[in-house]
Amino acid sequence: MKTTNDATATVRSAEDYPVRITSFWSGRSELIVPALVFALAGFLTYGTATMDVMGTSIPGPQFFPTIVCVLLFVVAAIHTVQILRTRRFPQEESEGQNADFSTDLLGDLADTERSSIYGATTTPSATGKRKAYSDWKTLGMTVGAIAAFILALPVLGWILSAAGLFWVICRALGSRRPLFDLSVAILFSSVIQLAFNAGLGLNLPSGFLEGLI
Amino acid sequence: MDSISLLMEGFSQALTPINLMWVVIGAILGTAVGVLPGLGSAMAVALLLPITFSLDPTAAFIMFAGVYFGGLFGDSTSGILLNTPGNSSAIASTFEGHRMALDGRAAKALATAAMGAFIGGLIATTVVVFFAPVLVKMATAFGPAEYFALAVFAFLAISSVVSDSVVKGLMSLGIGLVLALVGVDGPSGTPRFTLGMPQLFDGMSIVVITVGLLALGEVLHIASRIHRDGTAVRIESKGRPRLELSDIRRAMPAWLRGTAFGVPFGVIPAGGSEVPTFMAYGLEKKLAARNGDTDFGSTGSIRGVAAPEAAANATAGTAMGALLALGLPTSATAAIMLAAFQQYGMQPGPLLFERSGPMVWTLLASLFIGLVVLLVLNMQFAVLWAKLLLIPRHYLYAGIAVLSVLGVYAISSSIIDLWILLGVGLLGFMMRRYKFPLAPVLIAVILGPLAETELRRALTVSEGNLSILIDSPVTMVLYGLLAITLVITGIQHVRHSRAARSTAPKFDADRLGV
Repeated sequence: MKTTNDATATVRSAEDYPVRITSFWSGRSELIVPALVFALAGFLTYGTATMDVMGTSIPGPQFFPTIVCVLLFVVAAIHTVQILRTRRFPQEESEGQNADFSTDLLGDLADTERSSIYGATTTPSATGKRKAYSDWKTLGMTVGAIAAFILALPVLGWILSAAGLFWVICRALGSRRPLFDLSVAILFSSVIQLAFNAGLGLNLPSGFLEGLI
Repeated sequence: MDSISLLMEGFSQALTPINLMWVVIGAILGTAVGVLPGLGSAMAVALLLPITFSLDPTAAFIMFAGVYFGGLFGDSTSGILLNTPGNSSAIASTFEGHRMALDGRAAKALATAAMGAFIGGLIATTVVVFFAPVLVKMATAFGPAEYFALAVFAFLAISSVVSDSVVKGLMSLGIGLVLALVGVDGPSGTPRFTLGMPQLFDGMSIVVITVGLLALGEVLHIASRIHRDGTAVRIESKGRPRLELSDIRRAMPAWLRGTAFGVPFGVIPAGGSEVPTFMAYGLEKKLAARNGDTDFGSTGSIRGVAAPEAAANATAGTAMGALLALGLPTSATAAIMLAAFQQYGMQPGPLLFERSGPMVWTLLASLFIGLVVLLVLNMQFAVLWAKLLLIPRHYLYAGIAVLSVLGVYAISSSIIDLWILLGVGLLGFMMRRYKFPLAPVLIAVILGPLAETELRRALTVSEGNLSILIDSPVTMVLYGLLAITLVITGIQHVRHSRAARSTAPKFDADRLGV
């Protein structure tokens, strides 16, 4: 189903480029960022307007937040327009790229082609799925493990909850040796507990194992 | 010279066995995080901060000095052997370094990189020793308006000039400024954006923000990608890294040229060593083309590794000078170092040399010692460091996750801080996912309070008259430079986006509707 009868432009078909526009949201998931920034700016505006100002200094504590609010509203609006005008799809070639530095700028400085700045990683993905999209399952497991750790820490104590955190993340990131991981995890968390209590004099919670160790 | 006697005093402090031990520990840690892709000295210092609270500040800073330079020594190792630079500061030396490795000269490339890092760092640190007092004298004449101008310069240079997208850079900056605003406002005592929670009155801890963004954010990002990306192929490095006299003769001009690029860039808030390393690489490439050097771009040129490595460490060296003398962080790593000083109740800047003079000179002396230790570690044990790349990634990132929660819990034993950490980690993931720059957030969090205080101080003095902000020669020069760079960047951005638009595939919604 190639559509190549277009003389003017390189219109690609689905086979050439694994991008599917199925709804309004395709390629526009990035809208979540300006949405969050708008929410943040709204919170900031509300907080600034309802602030209990102490002291009479001019400019007061509301001065700087006002500037930040304006900045956030303006850039979030521009960003929203940009995303609505051009859909953005995760691109394989931009993976591993550092957004702190403009690739174009570095390319100009080094007199190099843009594409060669970040070395090409051409190995195919393990799962055969589209490489560029996020793996929500692994991410979810990792975030869940951290949340569970925070909940478990006061109850189970450092050794058990930290070992659990280590073990679950290992599993999520693709380790195939659960038993060996378990021993590594417990060793790691126990060494930290010992080093902290003995060496640095800081106390980590020991939970219900309190009396046992 | 005054500086020399002070430095000698610093050496006598730094050369005690216990302090030497801290230098070596720092150097080992720094090299290790540098070698491992995705980790850097900024993250290492952030993770170490809470753990070093019980140390005496001098010991802690001596260790940080080792970590600070060590990250730049190690980052070229994975670039040369795997073609995946450990940090963006090593991208430029990866081009030729990996070609040399493919050509069977991996050991030589590693040695050139280590030697280059040593020379760059050594010259830059020497420059700092002699020029820091000059900078201090200059900075004592700075008033609130000048400091505000410096902060604005750093904000805009890092968020707009060097980052990939101006809009995204400014959004990152804004997010960072908001994080910095939380807490009780110093001059008036007004609680701001604390949601009434007393835990937030002191503001959000810088440790929580940096560990969340740099460490946990990276772990979450890796989690979202680890089953997607392929693994790189490692080239074995055989033999001990050694440089023949002829190699040294070839590399020496490149080391010096690289250093010349790096030294001035340390004091410019251009986000660190990426820009000077690419400039140094570009120059070597042009020179090679002119001299008919056929190694360059084919089998790998030793000069193409030497120049960027020297530039990277020279930048780091003078960045330390700018940080100590002016209190101005010029890169994300320097910003974390500034945060480290603040954690110990010290404010880098002109007053630091007065109040904590001995500590500063000990720190400078330990930078020299650290460089020597790092050179030995990296020349003699380069092959051993490469073994670190064999650690399975799941253990590495599980370990970093545990160390992140440990560090944050250790500062105040607070469960709320851990939830904030998870939130900031998710923010860091989202920013990586959508390619938002992280450096502006860190710079804003750390310089934001300073910018606000100085701005309000200036306007209080002038009774609201805005012209005070641009009225002095220093501020005029700074804003003038900033305006010129912004215009040039703007033109470049437009040019590149035009070029990109003309070559990009056109998406046609009707035809693609699969």
